[in-house]
Amino acid sequence: MPGKPTLPKFAVLQLSGCAGCEVSLINASEWVDQYQLVYMPLVVSTHAVPEDTEVLLVSGGVRNDEDVYNLRRAVQIVERVIAVGTCAISGGVANLGDRDDVRAMFMAEEQRHHLPHLLPKSRPIDAFVDVDLYLPGCPPTPELFMAALIDPENYQASGIVCGECGRKKLKDMRPKHLVGFQKGEVLPDICLINQGYLCVGSSVRGGCRAICTRPGHPCVGCRGPSDAYIEKESQVWFDRVQSVFERLTDIPPEEIRAALHSPQLSLFLFQFTDYMGGGRPPRPKEKVL
Amino acid sequence: MATLRFPLSRIEGHARVEIEVQDGQVVTAQFQAIELRGFRYFVQGTPAEQMPVIVPRICGVCSTAHHVASVKALEDIFGVEPPALAKEIRELLLLGQLVQNQATSLFIFTMPDRVGASSLFHMDESEADPHQQLSLAQRSLKVRQVGTNLITLAGGQFIHPIKAVVGGVTSGIKREPAEAMLKEVEALLPMACELFDEYWEMSMAMAERIGTWGDDQPAYYIASTGRSRPQLNSDVIRVLGPDGAERASFPPSLFRTYLDYEDTAYSYAGQTSYQGQVMRANSLARMNLALSMGTPLADAYLEKFTHTFGKPAHPILLFDLCRGIELVYAFERSIEILSRDLDYENTSVPYSLKDGEGYGLVEAPRGPLIHHYTVTNGLIEDAEFIIPTVHNMLAIERALKVAGERYVSPAAINLELEKAVGRVVRAFDPCIACATQ
Repeated sequence: MPGKPTLPKFAVLQLSGCAGCEVSLINASEWVDQYQLVYMPLVVSTHAVPEDTEVLLVSGGVRNDEDVYNLRRAVQIVERVIAVGTCAISGGVANLGDRDDVRAMFMAEEQRHHLPHLLPKSRPIDAFVDVDLYLPGCPPTPELFMAALIDPENYQASGIVCGECGRKKLKDMRPKHLVGFQKGEVLPDICLINQGYLCVGSSVRGGCRAICTRPGHPCVGCRGPSDAYIEKESQVWFDRVQSVFERLTDIPPEEIRAALHSPQLSLFLFQFTDYMGGGRPPRPKEKVL
Repeated sequence: MATLRFPLSRIEGHARVEIEVQDGQVVTAQFQAIELRGFRYFVQGTPAEQMPVIVPRICGVCSTAHHVASVKALEDIFGVEPPALAKEIRELLLLGQLVQNQATSLFIFTMPDRVGASSLFHMDESEADPHQQLSLAQRSLKVRQVGTNLITLAGGQFIHPIKAVVGGVTSGIKREPAEAMLKEVEALLPMACELFDEYWEMSMAMAERIGTWGDDQPAYYIASTGRSRPQLNSDVIRVLGPDGAERASFPPSLFRTYLDYEDTAYSYAGQTSYQGQVMRANSLARMNLALSMGTPLADAYLEKFTHTFGKPAHPILLFDLCRGIELVYAFERSIEILSRDLDYENTSVPYSLKDGEGYGLVEAPRGPLIHHYTVTNGLIEDAEFIIPTVHNMLAIERALKVAGERYVSPAAINLELEKAVGRVVRAFDPCIACATQ
């Protein structure tokens, strides 16, 4: 069909994750007509990545030795590797287990008969292989998937989630504490920060079309920091979130700081900076959609 | 002794089957879940109120069920009763999940088995009805998309929903998007029925060809939906005996009294039984329990099903047909809910944090799902996830053994066994990400 962008031949390798990224990709039904999906065990019964595959999408973190083997084998075949979702980029939600008590549990389970051996922690895929493009989101939207496969350079999106949210920031509605959902109703059309929610959308990269904040849930940052902060230490980003709260609220800075370190945020906030391996350079923003 | 190992595809998560054969006899059949992320452990210490955002990440296919079960467990601890509007929106969310899941299992996972294709996207349609404008894959994805759109409308985020919060939901649904959704569901209901009819015919033809509907030995059944009509946002678990009579009915807090759990060395998922007996959850359990669906088209399908296969029905490939009845029900029930006003105030009530122990139950597409939390100083001290796929583990292994015995003889192993293994496992639609977490 003239004018219709063509997809490359692509494969989807699912490591240890929740399959939410795959489900999102299935929702992007545009690819169905083009028959370019050559490998994705969730929906196609083939047991190896075919030789003529051009692009490999990898979802899930590296949690066991079978994940390492499958990942290393698959990248040898393809021309381009895309890390999809928080787990492939940073280890993801399972990375909350990067602490001694959880590691001990995994080490105890490590040598079970006939089962893939568990690694001490969930690791990002670029700890093992080179990645050409990072597609953050938990999961990325179908629109983002299509952009990553077809034309990542020309994807149009706001720099930050606020740019896609549409809620109004008010100068005269200044909460004194974070209240969260304990207060009951969420007011429509007014910025969630004005209502005392810990929303980090002001420095999180756009492209998701603000699907959480518009119906009233604060942004937890699943797309990671915007281009302005993605190559910097997380402290720079924290300071930025802090300054937005200072401008719009009277919430004590200590309260914000403690809340930013809570699991549901730290799971996403650290996905590009301060990640494991120490000393590794940050991922360049040109490689992040 | 020979070990036959079968990798699996078109299921959620990583698993494989091992069948041990000696002298032409099947010795054991094991269903091995081969991944583990450790949710139970790493959520310890998490502020309790963050659980509804974190636990959907257990599984991107079943995320909605975890989201709602989590909120309900916390409401049980905090002593909060959500307003009626919030309950309706949560039900709509669970219905969206039911549409999405049953459409995925029917059309993407199991339909290719009926015609020997490797996927829905590689089906031979040379003999298809020339009046059909769209391919099977296109129609299937359109029907499935209704589920995704319902989840997005009622849940906000489309994979890991966010709208259910302790005390209610973050917002109602405005008239305009509700009406647009209503129109879409109404427009696609005939297509869903038509696809299910085609699926039904393909299933009858397959059963004829292979000569069986699979393991048909009686079993116990477990479900938490109502008897007179399905109730996905449920509060009581019911167990049926092999004869179809109700044996037990209990709140989620008493699951240990009725269900026995065992770890297995060869899998990262354990297995549950009903007092040592093989038990089944998922669609067939619900249809064996249901006296009616409460909606006209689904009731007609249920009647046809019962007339054809009896009640209780035991053969495992009937799980797949029951999913179709539920797909139609979920469409019809969504139409009922979307026809009401879902945009008034009182979406949620205030609450205060409390410590304690609580249980959240929902009927997920795969069966009753329980979240059991202990909260101390506002933090999760322990979190147990009682997963429906785990209730099916013994039943899956029994059915694999039956299939093995059919295709293994002292003279040879019939290569049809590999296909049979796929059909058996997919009939139960197991979710390995959930079962192991």
